[in-house]
Amino acid sequence: MNRTAVLSEVSGTVWQVLVAVGDAVEEFQELVLIESMKMEIPVLAPRAGRITEILVAEKSSVAAEQTVAWID
Amino acid sequence: MAFEKEISELEERRARSLAMGSAKRLDERRAQNILNARERVAGLTDEGSFSEWGLLAVSIRPEDRERSAGDGYVSGSATVEGRPVVVHAADFTTLGASTSAIGDKKFHHAKVNAARNGVPLVLLNECAGSRIPDIMGAQGLHRAGEHSELWRDRSSPWATAILGLTYGDGSFYASMSDFVVMRKGAVMAVSSEHVTSVALAEAGDPREFGGWEVQTSVTGAVDRAVDTDEEAIELIKRFLSYMPSHANELPPRTTAGEPGGDQESLLAILPESPKRTYDVRRILQVIFDAGTLFPLKERFAPVAFTGLARLAGEVVGIIAINPMHKGGALDAEACDKIVSFIVLCDSFNIPLVTFADTPGFMVGAAGERQKMPGKIMNYLQALGAASVPKLSVIMRKSYGQAHLNMGAGYCDEMAAWFSAEVSLMGRQPAMNVLHRLKPGETPEQYAALEAQLTRDTSAYALADAFMAQTVIKPSETRDWLIHMRALHARRPTGGIGLHRLSTWPTTC
Repeated sequence: MNRTAVLSEVSGTVWQVLVAVGDAVEEFQELVLIESMKMEIPVLAPRAGRITEILVAEKSSVAAEQTVAWID
Repeated sequence: MAFEKEISELEERRARSLAMGSAKRLDERRAQNILNARERVAGLTDEGSFSEWGLLAVSIRPEDRERSAGDGYVSGSATVEGRPVVVHAADFTTLGASTSAIGDKKFHHAKVNAARNGVPLVLLNECAGSRIPDIMGAQGLHRAGEHSELWRDRSSPWATAILGLTYGDGSFYASMSDFVVMRKGAVMAVSSEHVTSVALAEAGDPREFGGWEVQTSVTGAVDRAVDTDEEAIELIKRFLSYMPSHANELPPRTTAGEPGGDQESLLAILPESPKRTYDVRRILQVIFDAGTLFPLKERFAPVAFTGLARLAGEVVGIIAINPMHKGGALDAEACDKIVSFIVLCDSFNIPLVTFADTPGFMVGAAGERQKMPGKIMNYLQALGAASVPKLSVIMRKSYGQAHLNMGAGYCDEMAAWFSAEVSLMGRQPAMNVLHRLKPGETPEQYAALEAQLTRDTSAYALADAFMAQTVIKPSETRDWLIHMRALHARRPTGGIGLHRLSTWPTTC
C-alpha cells in the first residue's frame, strides 16, 4: 500500500506525541495531540498501518493541513 | 388459441427487452459481481411487487431500435418493505444508459408519478452521459430542458445509488437526492475522462476525480460508500425506513426501542477535563434507541455529526458537534452540511435535536475565504425557517455566534448539562483580546482584570434567566428528550410542518 500522510486538521502547538516510529496503529487511533483553541485536539490515523516518520516534536507549531507523520 | 399470433408477438417483444443489452456485457458484469439493472430492482423491491413501465420503449433513432431495450432504463412502481416506491434503474448494458429522448421521457414519468402520488423515488444510477448524437444539435439539447427534470420540490423523498460510471444526468439526479450511497469503484462526475481530456486537455483517472473518497469526504455529495451493490440497496431500504412516503405524512413510527446503553455510562464517555475531546457518536449511541443511529455525510465535515435515529420509536434528526474533530470548531463545510440536513428534516417533518460542544466557528483567513459570515447566516436562516420541533442540548462549550446556531432563541426547549459553559469566548482568549495579556504575565494584574471580566458562564446562569429550561445530568437526557418530543408534536397540524426549506437548493 502507498504511504499516507497524516495531516493536522487545525493549527496549534504540539502537546503530546503518542506514538513512535515503527508503531503499528489502528485506523482513527490518536497519534498526536495538538493544543489549539484551549483544547487538546487529537490527530487521528487516517488508516491502519505502521508509523514510518514523525515530523513534529512536542511544543512545535503546526499549521492546518500540515503533515505531522507518515504511515505505510 | 385465439389471438395466437398477436400474443406471441407481444411475448417476443417483451422477451427481447427483458434480455437488456448484449449477453457479453451482461456476462462481464456477472464475472465482476456487479448486478444488472433487473437484479438490482429485484433486490430492492418486494417479491412480485414490481410493475414496469416503458419495457417496450426504444430509442427515437431508427438505427438504434434493435439495441435499445427500454431505451436503457428499467422503470416502474413497486413496494419496498410493504411501502410503495417508484424505481428507475439504469441498464448500463444498453447504450451505457446514456441520456436520450425516450429514456428522458421515462425518467419524467417516474419523477412526476412519485411526486404526484406521494411515494419515494429510488434511482439506481449508472450513466455514460448524454447520448450522442441524440442530444446533439439545437433541438436535441433543448429537448432535455422541456420536462424540467432538473427541478424538484421534495414532495417525496429521493434516494439514489451510484453503482457504476455515472456522468451527466446521472450525477445531477444524485446531487438533487436526499440520500446518496455509492459503491466503491463507481464514479460520479459531470463528464467522463474522455470528455475532460478533449475539452480541457486534462488527463485524469475518473476514480480519482469522481470516486467515493472524493465524493464522501471532499465534496460531501455522497452520504455513504459501500463495497457491493447489495449493501447499497440495503442502505437505501434503511434510509427509506426513516422517511415518510411524502411531505404530508409523519415518518413511520416503530415500537419504542431500548436505549443504546446504560445512561449512567455517559459520565464515563464525557471527559472530566474540559480540554479533553471525545467522540460524540458514543454519546448519541447511548441516548437514542439501540442500533438506530444512521449517519449522513459521515466522512464530510466530521466536526458536525448529522444523522437520523429513533427516540422511543420516533424518528428524529440529530445535529451534534463532534469535538474529536477540530476541537468542535465549525467550518464552512460543516455549515453547508448542517444546512442540507435541516432542509431534509424540515421537508419531511422530522424533529431536530441539537447537541452543542463547540468553541465556536472557525476564524481566520481560510474561513473568511470560504465566506464564513454568509455560511453562518445561511445556517441560522435555515434553522430559523425550519418549522419542525427543535430541541437543544448544551453538553459543554457553546461559545460565540455558534451558541445561537446551536439553538439559542431558535429552539422550542433547551436543556443544559451541568457541564455547560456559555459565553462569547473563553476567559483566557478574552483576556488576550481585551487586555493583550496571557496567563503567567503580571499575575496580580491578570487576576484582577480577569475577575472584572468574568461573568457567570455556567449552566445555572442560563437557568436563572429561564434561557435554558432545565439543567440536567447527561444520564437524564434521554428521558428529557422523550418528554419534550411528546409535548412538541404540533398537534393542530398533525405534526406536518410548513416546509419552507423544501425548495432550498442543497448540493452537499
